[in-house]
Amino acid sequence: MRAGEQSLHRQLVAWVLLPQLVLWLAGGVATYRLAVRYVNQAADATLSQAARTLARQVKPIGDGLLIDFPRAAQDVLEADPNDRFLYMVSTPPGQFILGNNNIPLPPPTMTPRLGDPYFYDGEIAYAASARQAASGPTKVRIAALYLDYGETDGKRQWMLVQVARSMANREDIWRRILIDTLLPLSILIILMTMIVWIGTGAGLAPLLRLRREVEDRSPADLTPLRMEAAPQELRSLVGALNGLLASVRQSVDAQKRFIADAAHQLRTPLAGLKSQTEVALGVTADPALAARLALVHQGATRSAHLINRLLMLARAEPEAAMIQEKSVLDLEPFVRHLVAEAVPRALRAGVDLGMSEATGTPDGKALPGELRVQANHLLLGEALNNVLDNAIEYAGRGSEITVRVLRDGDDALMVVADNGPGIPAPDRARVFDRFVRLTDKGLGCGLGLAIVKEIVERHGGAVVLEDAVPHGLKVVLRLPALSRRATR
Amino acid sequence: MKFMQLLLAEDDLILANGLTAQLSRAGFVVQHAPNGPVAEYLLTNQNYDIAILDLGLPMIDGLSVLKNVRAHRPDLPVLILTALDKLDSRVAGLNAGADDYVTKPFDFPELEARLNAVLRRARSGAGAPELAAGSLRFDRETRRAFINAAPVELSPREAVLLDLLLLNVDRVVTKEQIASAWAGDGNDVGTGNTAEVHIHRLRRKLDGSNLAIRTVRGLGYLLETELLAGPRP
Repeated sequence: MRAGEQSLHRQLVAWVLLPQLVLWLAGGVATYRLAVRYVNQAADATLSQAARTLARQVKPIGDGLLIDFPRAAQDVLEADPNDRFLYMVSTPPGQFILGNNNIPLPPPTMTPRLGDPYFYDGEIAYAASARQAASGPTKVRIAALYLDYGETDGKRQWMLVQVARSMANREDIWRRILIDTLLPLSILIILMTMIVWIGTGAGLAPLLRLRREVEDRSPADLTPLRMEAAPQELRSLVGALNGLLASVRQSVDAQKRFIADAAHQLRTPLAGLKSQTEVALGVTADPALAARLALVHQGATRSAHLINRLLMLARAEPEAAMIQEKSVLDLEPFVRHLVAEAVPRALRAGVDLGMSEATGTPDGKALPGELRVQANHLLLGEALNNVLDNAIEYAGRGSEITVRVLRDGDDALMVVADNGPGIPAPDRARVFDRFVRLTDKGLGCGLGLAIVKEIVERHGGAVVLEDAVPHGLKVVLRLPALSRRATR
Repeated sequence: MKFMQLLLAEDDLILANGLTAQLSRAGFVVQHAPNGPVAEYLLTNQNYDIAILDLGLPMIDGLSVLKNVRAHRPDLPVLILTALDKLDSRVAGLNAGADDYVTKPFDFPELEARLNAVLRRARSGAGAPELAAGSLRFDRETRRAFINAAPVELSPREAVLLDLLLLNVDRVVTKEQIASAWAGDGNDVGTGNTAEVHIHRLRRKLDGSNLAIRTVRGLGYLLETELLAGPRP
């Protein structure tokens, strides 16, 4: 359940987020490239302008060239000491005319066209700034312009004007564009991820609620799930689940009813069997026959006992209507009354049953006010009766059973202590299992303590077995007590 | 107490047969009714001392029979015999009309004890002149007790105490019950161990009888008859 729900959340986020991420990144890349292109174009335009300006300074006269390169023009070209223009005017093949550096020729792949500048990248070793000594090669952007100026021997004369500038400046701008594009984009993506995550979570909340409702129920709780808790898309799923729950409930109910009805129906013939064997026992003089009849009688009594316990167990089930009908119970008089009713049974078995005079806290303090619990009095009475009957049956003739009602913090305790043989500690957990018997004595069917446990747990309590001092068994039924304010 | 006229309305013939034999041996004169109409006819037209009614009778169920009979014989002690137990909601409305009920299957001594208790209560209502248990007889008018016809002297408080114990034979009588019985009799409610002191005296006076007053720790006292007292350890 948990893994499935989480993966749904993740899947949703992934499906919403991943395509967006790809698109945003593609957008970012495109924006960057576009910006870089415009920067390059602007820079190239400057280079080309510089090349033309330079070309104008070289005027052809006849076959020669007049170089009119005033200091002022040179200063313009070399104005920025950190980002100087490098320039060179030459006539191919490689006749240097003027310039402040040697600039590599355009790659041979470029076919020269007159009057159109070429742009290409190259490397030149030069001092990028005035202060800096010439170091390794520097990447530069070069603009090359071929111009012709008159003819000699019927051949046109060529002039190559090259202007170069360091790429550092340009790369700096690229970097700034990259950062200016990436930074807001990353923040945008992070924010979007968060929004999508939170949004999906909020959207899935009803599903989570539904899951919690299913998880929080006890396995035996077959009441329908609340429809209004489910979002529209899950209504049909909840409806189907409820349909399933209802059919399970029906079949469980039918089974329970069958058990209850069968138990009821068995009671009358068993009563007849018992009655007839008792009569037969009274009239027979044959001791062998009497012994056999006694066994038949014992078997019938045992069966009767088992039927009663089965019925009780069916009643303590959480779906049973009975367990739902609870009322506020003043525990001390309730226990007093039940113990008083059990006294004749105990006396018949030769057991001294009584209550401890002082009702109070475990450390002997008097009970402040009434001790109240929320309980179904019939079922809780049955639980206590089972504990009492167990004690009467197994503590043995001549033993003493003492019942106490105590307050322990927020809990109410009913303690039934006997001075019989007790139950060895390793066996104590097992006695709460159904049909487990630790002795072959008595009428028991192994359901008594299972019923007690079932009932007490249905009341939000617990049953604990402890050693009594100096020997014997102490059964502690612990129930949550109602606070005094809540009962007023 | 002996030769009581008893009607047993029970449709299960095996049970009815066995129960008839047992009840006869216990001293009852038993008439058997196998279904509702017969039971109703016999109960309204004959003068029984007590009736045992099964709830699941054919044709007219036990509860209806009880209602119809109550109209004619409001004082008839009726014990319901049922396959339903006290935790069944259908039994809840039962005590209104019946004096007691016993769940099937039962131990006969238990049934017999309940029958006797119902009979005793029927006879020891507000106007009953005499209470008896075992070899003890108690005249409620004159407040004089006899053990095997020998008179026993009782103080007023002891008489009230004995009356209370006899009304609740084999059942626990709490100290609160004793105190309120004394208060109702016009005696001052004593302090301290008064109940214990009087119980002690009463015990000695009952020495010659086959009755015993038991102290039930933390609860009160119980007048025990031979029936209840099993073999002593």
